[in-house]
Amino acid sequence: MKEKAKILIGDDSILARQQLKDTISRYVTDPIFIEAANGKEAVTKYEEEKPDLTFLDIVMPVRDGIIATLEITKKDKDAKIIIVSSIGTQKQLTAAVQAGAIDFVQKPVKDEIIQQILSKYLGGE
Amino acid sequence: MYAQFFGSYLLSKNIVTPKQLTEAISHLSEAHIKLGTLAMHKGYMTAEEVNEVCFLQTREDKHFGQIALERNYLFEDQLNELLNTQSPDYLLLGQNLVDMGAITNNQLEELLLGYRDENQLNSDMEANELPEESMQLVDKFFEQTGRPLPKNILIYMNLLFNNLVRFIGSDFTPLTPVFTNSYDTNFCITQQIKGFLPLLTALDMEPETAITFASRYAKMEFDEFNEYVKASLEDFINLHNGLFSVNMSNTYSKEAELDPPGPTDEDTLELSDDAFVVPIIYPFGTIYFAISGTGDASIDEDSEESQE
Repeated sequence: MKEKAKILIGDDSILARQQLKDTISRYVTDPIFIEAANGKEAVTKYEEEKPDLTFLDIVMPVRDGIIATLEITKKDKDAKIIIVSSIGTQKQLTAAVQAGAIDFVQKPVKDEIIQQILSKYLGGE
Repeated sequence: MYAQFFGSYLLSKNIVTPKQLTEAISHLSEAHIKLGTLAMHKGYMTAEEVNEVCFLQTREDKHFGQIALERNYLFEDQLNELLNTQSPDYLLLGQNLVDMGAITNNQLEELLLGYRDENQLNSDMEANELPEESMQLVDKFFEQTGRPLPKNILIYMNLLFNNLVRFIGSDFTPLTPVFTNSYDTNFCITQQIKGFLPLLTALDMEPETAITFASRYAKMEFDEFNEYVKASLEDFINLHNGLFSVNMSNTYSKEAELDPPGPTDEDTLELSDDAFVVPIIYPFGTIYFAISGTGDASIDEDSEESQE
């Protein structure tokens, strides 16, 4: 798997960000984490940092994860955005895909799923 | 869910105090079921016979099963069956209360019968209960308050109890729900559900209680009331409400939307007229879960339509 991958995590929960960082660190060597606590911040940080992979929660203050995904993919259609959410309903899934997300993870997050995602999108280096 | 609601049943009958119950619950994980308790549960022995065998055990150096066989209180095949039975949690809870001296074996025998009877539970309940049975217990639990829940809210509460088992631990007992239109908060997280079933949901507890609640939820050891602890409570309510949305979407093809959860500054939450608060006792403290309609809406808004 790609070393020193730049990974953006957008979630309003400091705990959820920490848990995702812990999980990712088990599978990726020396990852570089960028964190955002709301959708707006995620869009700004994405433009500044151009991460290899982005994880976004849906339910966030200021701007939600779906709108943030739309704004990011409008400027960078190759953005790799994974939506991580507790509301994995058909409607949300469809909205995420239409906004340009490449994958959807239902919370609570399972380590194996994150491992699969990482090797799928960061594997071919 | 039998153990959790067996506890509520005992409290509602004023058989035990919340303190005794909490103590019995906190020892659940280290307790082992005794043959006598199982034999009584299966109806193979009476409480009197169990008491007699227990007494004889103090005088003869023999196993419970051996004495019961000699006295013809049990047949050999019954004994073998009991030895291979997995016991439900609520039996252990009852046994712990007997061991603590809070109730007698005779009382336990009657209580087990009463509990099964009142809840129309299958007399041969095993450790693995069915999802419908859990729903039935929650339904009965609210029915006893004289305020049966609308279907959607029943599904919501059943999922809540199951999520508590899944993410925090099964060692809890829900107390009688309080129907109230205002609630004085401790540390309180609220989250609005919008869409076809608009609800205000709230999770409230003392900061001390929150530290252990969060440690269990996050599977991390927190020793102070910090931002991670607060985030854990928010994550739990958000996860639960999210799973409820998924559930509703799959069952009724109805979509709900969630606002981000957050702590409330209000000392008192103003709730709708049909709102209620459920206190839930854990060994580490009591947590409070409140459900309220929002604005002019009652908690039963749209329930007819959603059962189509």
